[in-house]
Amino acid sequence: MSGRILVVDDDTALSEMIGIVLRTEGFDPVFCADGAKALGAFHGAKPDLVLLDLMLPGVDGIQVCREIRAESGVPVIMLTAKSDTTDVVLGLESGADDYVVKPFDPKELVARIRTRLRPVPAVAGSRLRIGDLVVDAAGHEVLRGETHIQLTPLEFDLLHTLAAKPHQVFTREMLLEQVWGYHYKADTRLVNVHVQRLRAKVEVDPENPKIVTTVRGVGYRAGAAV
Amino acid sequence: MSSGATAGRPLPGTRLLQARRAATAPVHLWRRSLRVRTVAVTVLLSTVALLVVGEVLSVSISGGLYKDRVHQVLGFSARADTAAQKVLGTATAFDPTTLGALQQNAIEQARTAAGTPTGLAWQSSPGQSGSVLPQAGIPGGVEAVISPDLKRAVENAPTGQHWQAVALPSGPGQVHPGVVVGEPLQVGGNQYELYLVYDLSDVQATLDFVQRTLLIGGAALLLLIGAVTTVVVSLVVRPIKEAALVSEELADGRLEQRIPERGEDVVATLARSFNRMADGLQRQITQLANLSRVQQRFVSDVSHELRTPLTTIRLASDVLYDGRRALDPPAARSAELLRDQVERFEALLGDLLEISRMDAQAADVAGEPTNLVELAREAIDALANLAEEMGTPVRLVTPGGHVEIEVDARRIARIVRNLLANAIEHGDGRPIVVTVDSSATAVGLGVRDHGAGMPQHHADRVFDRFWRADPSRQRRIGGTGLGLAISLEDALLHGGSLEVWSREGDGTNFVLTLPRSPDAPMIGRPVPIEPADALPSAAEAATHRPPTGRLPVVRR
Repeated sequence: MSGRILVVDDDTALSEMIGIVLRTEGFDPVFCADGAKALGAFHGAKPDLVLLDLMLPGVDGIQVCREIRAESGVPVIMLTAKSDTTDVVLGLESGADDYVVKPFDPKELVARIRTRLRPVPAVAGSRLRIGDLVVDAAGHEVLRGETHIQLTPLEFDLLHTLAAKPHQVFTREMLLEQVWGYHYKADTRLVNVHVQRLRAKVEVDPENPKIVTTVRGVGYRAGAAV
Repeated sequence: MSSGATAGRPLPGTRLLQARRAATAPVHLWRRSLRVRTVAVTVLLSTVALLVVGEVLSVSISGGLYKDRVHQVLGFSARADTAAQKVLGTATAFDPTTLGALQQNAIEQARTAAGTPTGLAWQSSPGQSGSVLPQAGIPGGVEAVISPDLKRAVENAPTGQHWQAVALPSGPGQVHPGVVVGEPLQVGGNQYELYLVYDLSDVQATLDFVQRTLLIGGAALLLLIGAVTTVVVSLVVRPIKEAALVSEELADGRLEQRIPERGEDVVATLARSFNRMADGLQRQITQLANLSRVQQRFVSDVSHELRTPLTTIRLASDVLYDGRRALDPPAARSAELLRDQVERFEALLGDLLEISRMDAQAADVAGEPTNLVELAREAIDALANLAEEMGTPVRLVTPGGHVEIEVDARRIARIVRNLLANAIEHGDGRPIVVTVDSSATAVGLGVRDHGAGMPQHHADRVFDRFWRADPSRQRRIGGTGLGLAISLEDALLHGGSLEVWSREGDGTNFVLTLPRSPDAPMIGRPVPIEPADALPSAAEAATHRPPTGRLPVVRR
């Protein structure tokens, strides 16, 4: 599997080292050391995935993430030196799909990247119904009637996972494993934040969700098809 | 537990309780209020002083009045005596008829001279001729108030006055104070006795009036003293009260509180000195707090700053390690060592960051319903490989503890893993028993190994940071030296305790005790610190208090 990965980090040694690891794994890394130039590099390189350091000189990582998210659904994984609640939640809310805390295991980083780059398992020609939406796995489309709803790959993955098994209640841990590829206990805030983002896009009334419904004390399930 | 037994007993009736409260209220006031105490003592002492003075005054006034009146009475009766004697002295014949008339005349003269006696009696002395001439004036007759003693005294003395204080019946059940004066009279060899009775109730009335006046005056004086004391004490106590309130506030951490400074007197001096002391304290505390904040901030920053280069090193060492087969043996071994030590460094950095957060009191407890039995099982599974490597059987015993308590599962799981890893490390391959049990107030978890154990002075220090019992001992797991310190902090964060029991040759037992509810205090430990299978110890060892990492639980 190959893919172009934009590494935005001001520490050149770390960037180079990440580059070595990524190349070993068959990826094609591109580098940018300045937050202010990150968007330009993004336009220039057209990466399949962005590795983004939260602490950047100039424009900080959260701002960069917002700018990228404003025009693209390309997967973004944050590199963060802080595991403190506020920074992580702020990063996720600005649109990052996942995060890795420094110092990280190279295998862990590669696993996170691979999960985000894997294609959504599409059952050929299947069209799933969830609430008043139609999820077209093959065409990577979500439709409400004739209206097209734009989702990032991660959001699509999340919605598709729920829609594929409409009768199953998914715990946060199950979603972490199936959507994010974590095989151990990970941060359930990932799920919470992304469910909120997904609801903001697909629900008619996000305060009163009908598509992704909460099962109190357990997790989430797909809303009944109408 | 005596307190438990008391709490379990039914409460006494509320009425009894109220009565007791009403009875204890003045006691409470007495203990609490300096003003009440001072005023009460002053009024009490003044009352005693006034009573004594009043009594002395009353006694001396009544004594004086009485003496004066008696003196007057005696003067009257002396005059009466003289008048009567003069009449009797004119006697020429001593036949009964003449004498009778003479006596009658003498009595009249005596009565006139005697002022206003209430009663008068004229008697012949025994063995004399002549009759008794009783005079009315007192209910029951004058004779009734003449005592035999007085009569004897008058009979036996040819001259002189004899008197005696008596109680004069003045009505049914009532008496007046009175005086009876008895005098002998001589007429031609015959002796008569003249008794004059005087009512002293006017003296008593005067005395009563004086006593009433004294009483009213005394009471008024006491009220005045009470009022004056209250005012004075209030003036003095108010600044003290203010100072007390302000010191309370200071003690509660409101360091900017000061006493208002008024005037130039000693109280103002007290206020000024107090405020100066508070200034000094505030400066010191602020300075220390700043220093500590700066220091903790520094540790935290350093830890964060180290993370980026450490990440690079970690990536590099992993790449080298993965490619070590292509390297020559010394380089390959170096790659292995590098990777292990980077891992250790990383763990150390993580622990350092964690403990700096705890020191800064920035650690947040994310409570969720957690089952300690489950947690223990997970920890045993997670460390199964290590246990197997060491040939250590690990057994889980759960007589209780199958309840969910609201704790930060991540922190508690870290404690359990830590204790278990320590036990495996020091258990010398002998069996380890993990016990979970619960009581009404707490859930406990014990990790017991049967390794070499520790002497007392080592056990006392196991929770110290970076402390190692034996620096030369080779460790299989690269501990950071902060594990138990962090575990203790984690336990305290939950309002619980982490304690250790250890004996040389008999292994070690760590006991974690957590309250069932964060708001209810724990009573006792569900899992005892001294394990049930502990070998019988020498007498000296038995006297050892179990060393403890328990601190007073402070709510943050």
